[in-house]
Order: sequence, then structure tokens, then C-alpha cells
Amino acid sequence: MSTLEEILQKAENLLQPFAQSSNRPESNRLDVYLSRENLIPAVKALVEARWGYLSTITGIDRPAAVLEEGQTSEQGEIEVLYSFCSGAAIVSLRVRVPYADAVLPSICPLIPSATLGERELMEMFGVKVEGTPDTSRLILADSWPEGVYPLRKSFVPAARFSGGAEGG
Amino acid sequence: MGLEVSKPWQQVLDKIRTWARVNSPWAIHFNSGSCNGCDIEILATLTPRYDVERFGIKLQGSPRHADVLICTGPVSLQSKDRLLRIYWQMPEPKFVIAVGSCGLSGGVFHGCYNIVHGIDEVLPVDVFVPGCPPRPEGIIYGVAVLLEALKSGKRPERTMTVELPTGFEMPQAEVRQ
Amino acid sequence: MTFEQHGENRFVVPIGPQHPALKEPGHFEFVVDGEIVTGASVRLGYVHRGIEKGAEDRTWTQNLYLMERICGICSHIHATAFVQGVEKLAGVEAPPRARAIREIFAELERIHSHMLWLGVAAHEGGFDALFMYSWRDREVVMDMLEMLSGNRVHYSANLIGGVKYDLTPEMTDKIREGLNYLEERLAHYLDVVNNDETFIGRTRGIGTMTREQAQLLGAVGPTARASNFAYDVRVDAPYAAYAEFPVEMVVAQEGDLHARFVVRILETMESIRVLRRIFENMPESELVTRVPRRIPAGETISRVEAPRGELFYFIASGGGEKPERVKVRTPSLCNWGTVITLAVGHKLADMPMILAGIDPCFSCNDRLVMVKRNRQDPQVWTWADLRNYGIEYYR
Repeated sequence: MSTLEEILQKAENLLQPFAQSSNRPESNRLDVYLSRENLIPAVKALVEARWGYLSTITGIDRPAAVLEEGQTSEQGEIEVLYSFCSGAAIVSLRVRVPYADAVLPSICPLIPSATLGERELMEMFGVKVEGTPDTSRLILADSWPEGVYPLRKSFVPAARFSGGAEGG
Repeated sequence: MGLEVSKPWQQVLDKIRTWARVNSPWAIHFNSGSCNGCDIEILATLTPRYDVERFGIKLQGSPRHADVLICTGPVSLQSKDRLLRIYWQMPEPKFVIAVGSCGLSGGVFHGCYNIVHGIDEVLPVDVFVPGCPPRPEGIIYGVAVLLEALKSGKRPERTMTVELPTGFEMPQAEVRQ
Repeated sequence: MTFEQHGENRFVVPIGPQHPALKEPGHFEFVVDGEIVTGASVRLGYVHRGIEKGAEDRTWTQNLYLMERICGICSHIHATAFVQGVEKLAGVEAPPRARAIREIFAELERIHSHMLWLGVAAHEGGFDALFMYSWRDREVVMDMLEMLSGNRVHYSANLIGGVKYDLTPEMTDKIREGLNYLEERLAHYLDVVNNDETFIGRTRGIGTMTREQAQLLGAVGPTARASNFAYDVRVDAPYAAYAEFPVEMVVAQEGDLHARFVVRILETMESIRVLRRIFENMPESELVTRVPRRIPAGETISRVEAPRGELFYFIASGGGEKPERVKVRTPSLCNWGTVITLAVGHKLADMPMILAGIDPCFSCNDRLVMVKRNRQDPQVWTWADLRNYGIEYYR
């Protein structure tokens, strides 16, 4: 039985040819930063070595500057984490794409169940996932306006909650 | 840790028994986006400890046979159309019970972007049952309050204009005696 | 509800989203050729509220109450996943007694959830007596949870840094009594599941998923373990007090619907056993440890084993009083992919039971499964229609 460290090291070795950089943010986690061109080869390396399973696809909005309410930033990126788990170890492949060119390749040819996570990414963040088999909306209503991506920081809900620490 | 309800509740339930036998309301349940907490407590009213059916209150699946709509949830945007569709399929006289704090005001989800906040934004609500979730006894009590109104021949006073769901044809008027 | 016509003679049969049996709104569409399902797809959104976004507007403590209400059935585990992540960011660990109490609530919740599922799944197959009995017995667990926390649903046991409620010896005595009763009842249900001919007829060999399929499709929880895919976050990456009070993983080989029933009942019995072990050896300590109001900047991933499988939280703090990002990936999201594949090749009459077999929690993910049927006339079926169809088919 491999130890946690051995499992993480194995992943690190598999991914090393594709990584721009990597680090260990927590004792059980390895984060590997990649360019989008290396996403498919990196996923392939993990799948072929049967390293763990794809657990979650997480999108994070990274606007260029702190936004005033209601403002949209032209600059900015979406970061996507593809988190794979094996036992207690979690390896996240991290890719950033700019708003102006928010396109990623689909990993569904390698992992069919990624379709649901990719659909969510598309509608919540406005990332175009090329080659994904199903581009229909997953959780937003058909009547939800095109081009409005709820999990981007620039989206401000109409009746937002204001009972925070500042009072009100 | 028994399987019986407490004595005070038993007295409330006995009162309902009389009313329900007079009116035998048929209810339909709809979840408009709730966490399911209220819904499982509604379902619990059917199970042996509370056994609401013995009072003549019947939970069934067709809007066309329902007197009462028991609705939970903060009304997600997608469910709004379904909710309206059910309401318009119900014959008059009909009543709406909103169960849970989400149904009252959006509850803990206040400010979330995909909800309407409160069933009374969409439909005229006759009875609100607060709680997160309300206990099965509380839900039955809410139904009892409604049955009292039915028993005394009250008809709902409605000033609210209810939207039509998309593509909906107004059903023929059905008058129930 | 929508209709689509694909080529000649292929029809979409939308099912739901409002139906009396599955208490949550969801939309199913199946593509069928005669009796056999040839394709299935999923669409969710009826329970989408916008919680991940809402989390960014709430303080860390306010978020406890929001995360709990993602799901009324597995509310404690959501709050636990959240709170553990925040504690990691803050660099604190909850005291031993608090962690044991978290495990107690988690296992009681697992018992209530599995029994709830047992009733609902039985109801799907027309076994209404089993539904009534299991829900009646489940009331025993609801009483325990109410005794511990004051509420039957949404116990709000967690605080950032520990728990709110303590156990007294009187409480543990009452719970032990209840657990003894439940253990007997569960043995009876296991007997029914293993020996009732009608039940076996509707579950054995149905919806079979191999280990390879489970892995490829990303199945989690009891659904995966019933297909010999042995993983359980409580065992692989222990949290709360699972290192001190471990559970034994329950795994089955057959991978069919019947195995999923057996796995869940056995898991419930294992939960009862681990609860007894915790009561015998309750650690003594304070209940909560101090945590700053502003959580230090950083990112963390928190995983727990919800009754339905692995629950994944990604939490990012910017150093303030509110999170920057909270991502919640619930187990049912993973298991829906399995249904879409499992459905193909099965009879439409098997659909209600297969869907129920993965224990879908619509609140966690709200999904539509689409079935398209080859027929002359497209038909709209309510869920009750589909369920009754299944029951009549096997009569």
C-alpha cells in the first residue's frame, strides 16, 4: 500500500512533462499549473496510469481588478481546476484562460462523465468547451439570458443579500 | 421514545378528524425548489405516526382533482412555470398552503439569483406555515386552519392577478358544489 | 414540457418534473424503442437557487446555515464539509469531543437518510408496506436528532471551530435503546430484501454496473460500492473522528439494483455499530475552539462521505469575513452519469427503480433525465404513470 506521499509523488512524476509549475498547498494536495495546450496530455497521463478518478471541475473567476458594483472588466481570466482524487490525495490540474479567449478543450473523450461538469462550467462562467458532446444548459433555465454568467464577479443579483457583518 | 404523538397534539388531531371528514380535501404537493426538508416532513404526515390520511386528507398527484395545493420552496425560476401550470389546472374553489420559511420569503436563500422569493409572489397564499422546516404537527395544523375556513364556507378573497404559464390555454370553468 | 421528434418514429417522453412519488422536481426524458431504452439524458435546474453565488455575500458563520440547506436530508454533512474546510484555512482543529459529536450526527444522519431512501425506493417499486414501515421506524432516528439538537431536520450542530451541542449520559442511554430497536428492524428489512420473491424479481440483475463502468463513469458512494468499487472518504481520508472510530466499508460484488439495497442496509447497521463504539469511549474536551472572524487567505479542498457518496467542497478565502469562492460538488452529480449509461438496454418499466437505486438527491443536484421513445404517438407521462407502468409490468 503506497503512502500518501508516494501517491502524490507518482502523480507529480506523471505530470511533470506538462507542468508550468506545481506546488503542495496542503499536505494532501498537489496543484499543477498548465497551459491549455497541455490539458489533454496531462489528463491522458493520469487516466492511462489509472491514477485516481476525476472528482470535480471547479471554475474560479479572476477579474483583473477589484470591480465596482455592476462594472464589467474586459481583462480578467477564468481559472479551471480539474481535481482528481486517489485515496486521501487530491491532484488539481489548473488552467487559466482569458475572458477574450475563454476556450478549453473537452476532456470527455477521455472521461465521459466530465460532460456534466463541463456544461456547468460553460453556463456559469462563459467558458467555451470545444468538443464537449452536450452543450445544452444543465442547471440554468432556458429563459436565462445569453451571455450572463452568474458565477462571474461582474454579475450582481437583483435582490442580493445584505445582512452581512457591515450591518443592514 | 415512542411512536405516538404527544397528548396535546392528539387533541388537535382529533379536532381535525371531524372537519376533514366533513370536507375530505384532496391535496397536491409541489416542491418549487426547496432543500427537501419541508417535503420530507410533509411526506412524514402520511406515515403511521401522524397518519394524516385517516382524517380524510388525501395527498394525490393530479391538479385536476385537488382542492389544496401544498407548496414548498423559494420558487426557482425554472419551477415558476410548473407551479403556475398546476395552479391553473386546479378547479375552483382552490386553496394554497405555503410551507416553510422559503415559501414565505425565500428564507435562508434570500438574495440568491435564481429564485423568486416567496410563493406569495406567484400565487395567492391562504395559509403560511413557518418553520425551517415546520414539524409535521405544524403542517397538519396549517391544514387544520384551512379546513376551518372550508368548514365555515369561507371562500378566498383574491386581489392578486396570477400570471398564466407559457403556452397555456385557460381550462373550461369547473364549478364544484 | 417539451416534445421533440427525432427522425422517424422516435419520440421524446418527458417525465415530470412534478410528481407525487419523487418529492422533488426533476425532468426525465428517455428515448425508447418499443420497450427498451436506447438513450437517456439529464437536465437539471428546478432546484437551482444560486447558492454558490449567495455564499460570497455571507459571512463564514452565516454560510453555515446556507450550506446546511443545500439539502434537507444530508444537511449536517454539508455543514461539516464546509466547516472543516474553513478550520483548515484558519489553521485550527476542532477539539476531540467536538469531532466525535460531528461523527455522531453524521452517522445518525446516514441512518435516517438510508431509511428514508429505503422507503422511497420501495415505494417506487410498489412496495408501499415497506415504505410505511421504514418511515415509521425512521421516526426513532428523527427523535434522537431532535433530542440532541432541538430540530428534526437541519440540526445546525456545527460551529466554526467545533459543535454547539453536547451529549449527556441520559441522551446516550436513550439513543442506545433506539439503536437496539433499529438494529432489529433493519435485520428484518435485510431479510425482506434478500428473500421476498417479488422484490428480488424487480431488483436482481437490474441496472447492473461493472466495476470498470463504475470507475469510468465516476460513480460514488453506495452506488459505487455495490459494484465492488471500494472507496469511502471515511476510510480513505478520515475526517472528524473517523481515525479514532473507524467504519468498515461495505462492498458488494453483483453491482445490480439488489446489491445497492443490500449495501445501504448493511451500511446502516455498520453506522449503528460505530455509534455504540463512540458512546463507549466519548473523548472529554471542550466543545469549540476559537476561530478568528477573518479567515486567512488561501484555498482548501474538503471532502466528506455523505450518505450518497463523496461530497467535495472547494473553498477560497481572500482573508476577509466572507468567502471568495465556494464550490460544492455533490455526490448525486456524479451518480447521474451512471444512470444515463445504465438506463440503455433496460426496459422502460425498470426506470423508476434504477433511478431510485442511485438515491438521487435532487436538492444536491437538480437533474432531468430524458428518455426518447419510438412510437407512433408521443405521450406525456407523469412520474406516477411511469411508476405504475413498472409495477404493472412486473405483476
